Amino acid sequence: MFETLQNLGHGFAIAASPGVLVYAFAGCVIGTLVGMLPGVGPLAGISLLLPASYGLSATTALVMLAGIYYGAMYGGSTTSILMRIPGEAASVMTCIDGYAMTRKGRAGPALAIAAVGSYIAGTASIVGLMLLAPPLAAFALSFGPSEYVALLLLGLTVLAYMSGGSVPKSLAMAALGLLLGMIGIDPMSGYFRFSYGLVELGDGIGIVPVAVGLFGVSEILLTAGQAETPQVIKPKLRDLLPSREEWRDAAGPVGRGTILGFLIGIVPGSAHIIASFVSYAVERRVSKHPERFGHGAVEGVAGPESANNSATSGALVPMLALGVPSGPIPAVMMAAMMVHGVSPGPMLIQQQPELFWGVIASMYVGNLVLLILNLPLVGLFVNLLRIPYPLLYPAILVFSVVGVYAVNGSVVDVWIMAVMGALGYLLRKLDFETAPIVLGLVLAPMLEMSLRQALALSSGSYAIFVTRPISASMLCVALALLLLSLRPLVARGADWRRRLGLLEGPVVGEEEKR
Amino acid sequence: MKRRDLVVLLVCVLAMPLIAQAQDFPTRPINVVAPFPPGGQADLMARPTAAAMEKILKSPVVVVNKTGAAGAVGMAFVANSKPDGYTLLMALSSISIIPEADKLFDRKPAYTMDQLVPIALVSADPTILVCRSERPWKSVKELVDDAKKRPEGISYSSSGIYGTLHMAMEMLIHSAGIKMKHVPYGGAAPALTALLGGHVDCMASGPAVVLPHIKAGKLRPLAGWGEKRLAVLPELPTLKELGYDAEFYIWAGMFAPKGTPEPIMKKLRDTVRAAMQDPDFKAALDKMETPIAYLDAPEFQKFWDKDAKMLADAIKRVGKIEETK
Repeated sequence: MFETLQNLGHGFAIAASPGVLVYAFAGCVIGTLVGMLPGVGPLAGISLLLPASYGLSATTALVMLAGIYYGAMYGGSTTSILMRIPGEAASVMTCIDGYAMTRKGRAGPALAIAAVGSYIAGTASIVGLMLLAPPLAAFALSFGPSEYVALLLLGLTVLAYMSGGSVPKSLAMAALGLLLGMIGIDPMSGYFRFSYGLVELGDGIGIVPVAVGLFGVSEILLTAGQAETPQVIKPKLRDLLPSREEWRDAAGPVGRGTILGFLIGIVPGSAHIIASFVSYAVERRVSKHPERFGHGAVEGVAGPESANNSATSGALVPMLALGVPSGPIPAVMMAAMMVHGVSPGPMLIQQQPELFWGVIASMYVGNLVLLILNLPLVGLFVNLLRIPYPLLYPAILVFSVVGVYAVNGSVVDVWIMAVMGALGYLLRKLDFETAPIVLGLVLAPMLEMSLRQALALSSGSYAIFVTRPISASMLCVALALLLLSLRPLVARGADWRRRLGLLEGPVVGEEEKR
Repeated sequence: MKRRDLVVLLVCVLAMPLIAQAQDFPTRPINVVAPFPPGGQADLMARPTAAAMEKILKSPVVVVNKTGAAGAVGMAFVANSKPDGYTLLMALSSISIIPEADKLFDRKPAYTMDQLVPIALVSADPTILVCRSERPWKSVKELVDDAKKRPEGISYSSSGIYGTLHMAMEMLIHSAGIKMKHVPYGGAAPALTALLGGHVDCMASGPAVVLPHIKAGKLRPLAGWGEKRLAVLPELPTLKELGYDAEFYIWAGMFAPKGTPEPIMKKLRDTVRAAMQDPDFKAALDKMETPIAYLDAPEFQKFWDKDAKMLADAIKRVGKIEETK
C-alpha cells in the first residue's frame, strides 16, 4: 500500500510537470469537443489525433490520448441532454431522460449531474484501476467466446427492462437492430451478406451513423413537422443547479453506475456503450418509480453517464496490466506506445513505471480539469437553447453530416444516417422507441462472432456454455432476470383472473338469489 | 493542314501537360492511402515513409486512412483513382487476397491486381508461430506429431477468415498434412487476446506484437515463416529449415494506379528509394522493431507475383467454407 502511494506520488510528479499537464489538458478539451460533435466519438477522435502524438514522448502521448477518451464521455452528454443528439454512441441512453429534463426546463441540473457523476465515476474507477489492475486483467482474459455469449445474452435480457412503453414494440425494435447487425461479411465463411455489391457495407452498418440518424435527425424532422415553432426554452439562473432532491436521487445511480461500468469496461469489447445501456436498465429496474423513466428521471442521466465514464478506466486495465487490447480504442493507444518503442505487455508496469503511474496520475488530474471545465460551461451550454430553431437545427444537421462523414470519409455512412433519420421519424410517429435498435446493432455482431467461435471450439457442441463456470453462472443470472421480467406478465394474468373472478362473483351471487 | 498533322498536333497538345507534370511533379499534396485504421500496420508504415518523402520532394505528402471491408475499400479507391501520381497506396500482403476471395465467391471484384503498379516494397516481416507456454510442444515437430494424433484437436486463432494470419497457418497445415481447428477473430489484436487468455492453443503473428509476451514467458515461439531467421530471435528456426514448404511475410509496399505516366513513376521510385535512407525513417522503423526490406519496382513486382501465387493457391485450397457438414 505504501509502495503504491509512493508510486502514485511519483506519478503525480510526472503528471504535474508542465509538459505533461498541457497535453493532459489539451486531450481533455479535444475529448470534450469530439464528444460533443455528433458522429465523431472517442475512437474517431483518437484515431485522427494519433499521428499528431507521434512527435511526443510515450507518456505524454498516452496521457493525451487517454484524456481524449474520457473527455469524450463528458462531452457526449451535452448534446444528448440539450438536443437529443448523441454526441457519441455511449450517450444514446442519456438522450432519453436527459432531453426530457431539458423539455421540462431542467437542462442545467441534467448537465451538472452528468458532469459530477462522470467525475465521481471517473475518479473512483481510477482507484480501481490502480489497485486492482493485475488481478482484474487476469480475470478479463479468462473471458473466452462462450463467456461472451453468456454476457451478451445477459445484455439482451436487459432489453426487457429498457423500454417504458410496450414490451412487444421494444422487442420488435431490438429484433430490427439485431437484423441490421447481420449486414456485412460473414465472420466465419467470408460471404458478403445483404451488401448489394457495396464494398462499404462489408464491415456492416456503423453504430455512429445509425445513432445520429435515429436520434438526432429524427428529432429535427419531428420538430420541423410541428405546426407551431416550439417555444425557445429560456433558462433562468436559478434553474441551473440541481435541487437537493435531484442530488439525492442521483447518488445511488452514480454509485451503481460506477461499479457496473468498471466491471463491464474490463471485459474486452465496446464496453462504454454496453455499460451505459446496462446501467439505464438497472436503474429502471431498481427504481421505485419506473414510470418516471423516459419523462425526465434524474436517475436515467446519472446512471449511464457515470457508467460510461468508469468503463473507460476499466477498459485500460487489460491494456496497461497485460498489454492486451481490450477494444478498438485501447488497440489504437497500444499502437501509439509501439510507435514510441514501448512494447505494451505484461512487464509494462515493472519496466515502464513512469508511464503507468504517470498515466494514472494524469487521469486524476484530467477528471478534475474536466469537472472544472464542464461545470461553469453548463450555463453557457444551456444558453445554446436560446438560439431560435430555424438557425439551430440546420446548423446541427450540418455538424451531423460532417461528423458522420469524418469518421471513415465515407459517403455511404452519410446515406445510412439519412435513411435512419427517416426511419427514426416514422418509428417515433408510430410510438416506437429507437434505443433498442442501437443496442441490437451493437450486440448482434459480437454475439454472432462469439457464438460461432465458441461452437467452432467445441466442434458444434452447445455443452460448452454450461460446462464453463463463468458462462454457466452468467446464463443463470440471465435466466433469473428473464423470469423476473416475466413476473409482471404473470402477475397481470393473475390480476386479470381476479378481475374476471370479481365479474363472475356477482353473477354467481345473482344465481344464488334466484 | 492535313488530317495527319492535325492528329500529331493534337497528340502534342494532349501530351504537353503530361511532360510538364513530370518535370515539376508534385505541384500539389500527394495523398498516400492507408486502407486500414490509424495504428494498424499499413498506417504505421505509411506515416514515416510519407514524412521522409515530404522532406525529399519538399511538398506535402499526406496519409489518408480509408478503411472498410478488410482494406478493400481503400485499395479499390486507389485502383480507381486518376493515375496522376497524386493518389498512392500503402498496401499490405492482403492486397493479393481480396481479389482471389472475390473470385472464389463469384463476386464482382472490388479491384483487380493489374489495376495497381508497384512503386517499392518498404518492409517485409515474416510471421512467427507462437503457442502458450503451458502447452507441451517445444518444437514444430512435436506440435505436428500431436496434431496428427488428434486431428482438429489443436486450435489456432487468426485475424479473420482468408486473412493474412489464416493464410500463413494454412500454408503450414497444408505442408505438414495436418488438421487444426480454426477460430477466426476480427483482427490480429483480438486473436492475440484469445491466445493469451488460453482459449486457443497457438497462432501465427507478426513478431513485434508477441515479443514482449515471449520475453515475459507467456508465449513460446516455435518457428518463423521467413526465408532467413529473424534478427530479434536468432535461435528460432524457419519452417523451411525444418522441411515445411511455407513462406509468408506481412509486407508493406507502395503502389500507384495503373497508367501513371512513366516519368512520374520514376520520380516516385527515386523518392521512395531516397526515403529509405532517411535517418528519421530508419529510427521510426527501428522503434517498431520492423526491419526495412526495400525492393525497387521491378524486383518488388517479382516478389509480389510469387507471393500472390502462393496466396492464391492457399485460398483455393481453403475453398468456400460450406455451412452444412
